[in-house]
Amino acid sequence: MIQNKNVRILAIAPLSRGLGYAVMEGPDKLLASGNKAILRDKNAGALAWVNRFIQFYQPNVLVLPNVKAADTRRAARIKTLHRQIVAWADKKKVKVRLVSVTQVRTQLLGDSKATKFAVAQMLAGKFPPELGTRLPPKRRPWMSEDPRMDIFDAVGLAVASWPQQK
Amino acid sequence: MKSLPNYLQSQRKRFALSQEEVGFLLGISGMTKGEKVCRDENFAREPSLQDALAYEAIYGVPVRELFAGRYQQAEQDVATRAKILSFRKLRKTDARKQECIIQLAAKASANPSRE
Repeated sequence: MIQNKNVRILAIAPLSRGLGYAVMEGPDKLLASGNKAILRDKNAGALAWVNRFIQFYQPNVLVLPNVKAADTRRAARIKTLHRQIVAWADKKKVKVRLVSVTQVRTQLLGDSKATKFAVAQMLAGKFPPELGTRLPPKRRPWMSEDPRMDIFDAVGLAVASWPQQK
Repeated sequence: MKSLPNYLQSQRKRFALSQEEVGFLLGISGMTKGEKVCRDENFAREPSLQDALAYEAIYGVPVRELFAGRYQQAEQDVATRAKILSFRKLRKTDARKQECIIQLAAKASANPSRE
């Protein structure tokens, strides 16, 4: 948990299509968020984007999903990319924090079994100007996941890094 | 934490405006209005005072908050110079002048890391 509210954090959610990112200055100030689709040579492309984000936003802390947590399953490529990003952040002297999916759900909704859509809805309500229009419709069993969910994954990681105000 | 040079992009996205639209609102003419806004947002161009005030009018945020990094830098530079001025022997010493210089110089000693 980041106790100092005077830091800038960059949250990266590496996913199968590319990556989602979010930049926050304090628990209530979302500076930027979005997703980048990477078509070919995904790990190299994703690493290049992470480098650009670090250079542009100069974060104090880099937040990544904890791919080694017991409740997490990730593809081998994503795990490799995760290792590469951590190594890159160490090289750039940026602190890295790992947040698991369960931590995000527990922090934001108080329920470790909450759905991704419930988390996304909560975040869209918390940041209506930035995320209100980006909330995709609820996924049906026959639909694949909307690319915009990458944004909410990253923002969820960023928000869960701060202590929640009761 | 050192502020970013400006927060134009995050403010523009809050209002869901495009760079072209902001360029039009700034009064930039021609085909490159979006490009100029893009360069402002990516810290590649220093907007003029007229443009900075126009940004304040568009987003409703004071210039010192929109250009927080630039403001911090300018404040620090002024404080450093005020420190030098406070060491100089002034010909005519005025209580108001001295108070102003001491206050400005105090900011330099309050934030020595940014020097």
